Amino acid sequence: MSRFPLVEDRDGQTVVRIPLTRGLGLTPLQTVFAFLGLVGLFALPFLAGLVGLSWERLFRGILFGLAAVGLNLLLRHTELVSFGHAAFFGGGAYGVAVLAAHYNVSEGLLLLLGAVIVGTTLAVVIGYFVAGYVDIYFALLTLAFNQVLFATVFRSGFFNYNDGLQVRIGGDRPTLFFLEWTTLGYDLVLYYTTIVLMLVMLLAMWKLINSPFGRALDAIGQDRTRARFIGIPVEKYVWLSFTISGLYGAFAGGVYALLRLHVQPEPTLYVFVSGEILFMAILGGFTTLVGPLIGGIILVYLLEAARFWVEYYHALTGLVLLAIVFFMPKGIVGSLPDFNAWVAGRVREPGRLQEDVRSATAAVREGVDRATTTVRIIVFGVK
Amino acid sequence: MIESFVTHTLNGLYYGFILFMIASGLTIIFGVLGVLNLAHGELYALGAFVTFTIVGYLTGLVASPTGPVSALVFAVVVLLGSLAAAAVLLPVGAIVESVFVRPIYERAEVYQLLLTYALLLIFIDVMKFGWGATPVDPGVYSTLNQVPTTELVGFGYPSYNVIVMVVGLAVFLWLVWFFDRSKTGRIVRATAINRDMATAIGVSTDRTFTLVFAMGAFFAGFGGAMVSIGPGTAFLEMGLDPLVLSFVVIVIGGLGSLKGAFVGALLVGVISRWAIWQYPPVELAAPFAVMLAILLVKPEGLFGTWGEIE
Amino acid sequence: MDRRTVMKAVGGTALAVALAGCSDLLQEEDDPIEDAEVPDEPIEAGLQTFLEGAPAVLGVQAQYGAETAVRRINDNGGIADRQVELEVVEEGEEALENYQQFVDDGMDVTFGPISSGNHEAMVPEINDQGVINVATDGTVTTLYEEDHPPEDNQYSFRFQNHDVMEALAAAIEAVELLGEDEIDTYAGINPGYAFGFDEQEIFAAGIEQLTGAELVYEGFPDLGTDDMSTHIEEVNSEEPDVLFSSCWGGDATLLLEQGHGAGMFDNVELLVGPVLYGSANDLSEDLTDGPIRAGSRNFYWDQPDTERWSPGDELVAEVQDEYGVLPTAHFMSGYGAVTAWATAAEKAVRLLGRWPDQEELAEVLTNHGFFTPAGYHTIGPDHQGYSNAHFGELAWSGEYDAAVIEDVNVYAAKNVSPPQGQTSLDWIESW
Repeated sequence: MSRFPLVEDRDGQTVVRIPLTRGLGLTPLQTVFAFLGLVGLFALPFLAGLVGLSWERLFRGILFGLAAVGLNLLLRHTELVSFGHAAFFGGGAYGVAVLAAHYNVSEGLLLLLGAVIVGTTLAVVIGYFVAGYVDIYFALLTLAFNQVLFATVFRSGFFNYNDGLQVRIGGDRPTLFFLEWTTLGYDLVLYYTTIVLMLVMLLAMWKLINSPFGRALDAIGQDRTRARFIGIPVEKYVWLSFTISGLYGAFAGGVYALLRLHVQPEPTLYVFVSGEILFMAILGGFTTLVGPLIGGIILVYLLEAARFWVEYYHALTGLVLLAIVFFMPKGIVGSLPDFNAWVAGRVREPGRLQEDVRSATAAVREGVDRATTTVRIIVFGVK
Repeated sequence: MIESFVTHTLNGLYYGFILFMIASGLTIIFGVLGVLNLAHGELYALGAFVTFTIVGYLTGLVASPTGPVSALVFAVVVLLGSLAAAAVLLPVGAIVESVFVRPIYERAEVYQLLLTYALLLIFIDVMKFGWGATPVDPGVYSTLNQVPTTELVGFGYPSYNVIVMVVGLAVFLWLVWFFDRSKTGRIVRATAINRDMATAIGVSTDRTFTLVFAMGAFFAGFGGAMVSIGPGTAFLEMGLDPLVLSFVVIVIGGLGSLKGAFVGALLVGVISRWAIWQYPPVELAAPFAVMLAILLVKPEGLFGTWGEIE
Repeated sequence: MDRRTVMKAVGGTALAVALAGCSDLLQEEDDPIEDAEVPDEPIEAGLQTFLEGAPAVLGVQAQYGAETAVRRINDNGGIADRQVELEVVEEGEEALENYQQFVDDGMDVTFGPISSGNHEAMVPEINDQGVINVATDGTVTTLYEEDHPPEDNQYSFRFQNHDVMEALAAAIEAVELLGEDEIDTYAGINPGYAFGFDEQEIFAAGIEQLTGAELVYEGFPDLGTDDMSTHIEEVNSEEPDVLFSSCWGGDATLLLEQGHGAGMFDNVELLVGPVLYGSANDLSEDLTDGPIRAGSRNFYWDQPDTERWSPGDELVAEVQDEYGVLPTAHFMSGYGAVTAWATAAEKAVRLLGRWPDQEELAEVLTNHGFFTPAGYHTIGPDHQGYSNAHFGELAWSGEYDAAVIEDVNVYAAKNVSPPQGQTSLDWIESW
């Protein structure tokens, strides 16, 4: 502990920390970003339109991003790649839809509660089966569970097949806080309720990953055997984190259903949606807490809106992701410090920009050369 | 009833061989390189589109068959065209590996997923640019069916299906021969088992990896070619479901195991066709249910071997 | 025929005449609509349809249709002097989001989608936003019959016939061809998603009422599958009298290819497929063999015979010239959706002396009647479009180097759809 308020010693370095909760704090830069983020979030419905963005689309992005935050608990700490998180997102969405369409539950918050219960229950069940697996087997098992769920919903009259279910009770949208709202009012109340709950969830996640439990997950991620030796109940902890992770997805899916008011299997349960949730986490930066959220916003925006901008919109999204892999390996949020340094460097010495281009071109040319040689060898043999 | 059973089983085997041809490339790449190539389905689709062009051109050169012999000649031309189409995938695979995949072998697996997913998206638009947005069909299926096969033994069954089974078996046997008996194949296996040791005895791992990726792309393309000359069409998103089904096949078989992929594919093919026969609504879920059942009983798959191709 | 007669016949305006394909019958004359107070800026319209992948077989036809209608409107001076600008976007699974984007972009009207699930998701949103959408397809029967009855639906319309009309027409077609007493068994192979289940249910209800036939097999291969052999083998072993299939696009060609390959047409008396002709441009000559009656929804380009019906002839020539394909029913989905809205808009301008707002336009669209080269169409009080349904023998035309249908039967809407306010299944049961 330092003698000055807000100043701590860490690994021999003096750092300023703004304490948020007991034992946890932010650096000044992080505090600024967090503050700006908060202001941005709360002003979003009013700001987005000014810069030509659709805030409902940003809202959907936030929801998928929140599911990615959940997935990231597994990815970042236990180092498990889930390819089946759409099961919980979709499970939550269908939880809302089934309660509204078949049981006439008309209060949004109750529906949301139902979503969380349904999605989390799915996570408990699936987690029970997959907790003992690692690596690619874990990924593909989660994928299989996801696909079985998708196939069941897609082929079942109870879920109205792929046409999906309306989240409307007798044609009316649900109430929120037991009040009926206009179209815009409904969206706004839903948005602010979600944002507040989401901030609580983010804070909880932050506490969680910095708790002894979070450390245990890190240990499991690094080496399961060692973790087991030091007395960590590995499967049980993985199962628990899988469930928590699913809860985030279920909540996000539930809000998604309340926002869209119609739930279909393809946009919520299809296995490639699982892939997208995973890629959101990496795109935004899976070594950070809020990175997946940013990744969600960007990827959803690209997937939904790029078709209005260019003809080859798949390729546009692909190129963005490619750029992330090669130029921002830590994701958008994770790369912010590096990016700052890079920009500063190039501003100081603009000549090095050419150098960057040259080295990138050279790398590609070298790769193509190598490829040509290899193909020649495959086709014509050595010589 | 018996005849129905035989036909359903044959249909299952046929479908299994199709699945095997699609999955073989994926399992080769995964087995040696440890990369789960999400763009595999797009390489498969690319093979189907290239086949449309090449086979379309070649069959324009030969006359429509009039009898069994000319039908056989026609089939040979179509198969050669399919091979040529798949060969186009060799440089594609080699370039993808040496330009895009190579720089990230050392990074966490998730980057390989993100990268290959990005390539998946880009490939879709490359095909859209090359062949347009609507489906294409080389239209040789019915002519292939004129090749005399099962009717020689007094049984009516589409000759195309028989051809697929024969070709699929040939692909499997060739791959087994390649990895078991050929020098290059042994080098590849050696590299897969221990990269450092392989380098130490003078094997260029870089070149081996490029070769394996190119081979994987070749077989993906060949799978696409076999589907393209069949009753279906080639369309932009055709790679998505086969990609997911390929996962199922290679997981059931045991990752990286060629024999496993073979047995897994035939199992999925036959069990899913039987399942649809007995209870049609299960069609979409069947392969995944099979996979879950097998994995929960035998977690490493039927022929599980880690990190080496067998 | 003089101008007045033509105009009276098709709804009274030059634009309506042009879209009916009869503009060469008109001579120049002053148009009273020129006095109306109408904004100068062009009309912005959005169309969403499937532009790529397997469903593009249908979707691109809808695009061609909508573009053709827009071209004709603009060549004829626009709607009350307003040109139309059409933006076309991929429908994907995001139809609801696309519609919202169109509204955000200030579109005056939107068209599409193709998918029924997408359409279902959009209807409440359309009524919330209040910008008229005329669906090209999205034809699930229950949509306007049960889920969104007229009292709850103001701004959402659909041009293409809904499923019941083609599924029932298919049943009647089978009975007409084979005779009531000859049909003892039937089977179905339909795509395994909402549309396929819907079609099979209605066809089953219809054919059982008409003939008392028994269902012997019902299979639902996955949409976009690459293998239907199991279902075909089941049909082969059951040998039904009638096989019903609402497969479309690649699924339809796959069914015909594998069906021929496995000798299925030796084992059924008749295959009726309400959307088979949608694949007209993808079928090869050998696939048209066999006892196949192909449906073509609300439009078949050679009905009435193009030799005697110049609007049809000109349309085919224009489409062949412009796009190099034969127009199918989905072409008409796009063409008719645009035409419905455009003629209604002009009618409204004529009535009001100014450009109508969305509410007024919706009012005019309800119960609106108009012509296209396919004949006369109405939009019912339920916002559903009603047109003739077409079925014919699938055959090959050397002249067009494409599949055609011959010996075409035309079913009037009132014979294959329930009266307003009644649901299809109740109506069929009451026969």
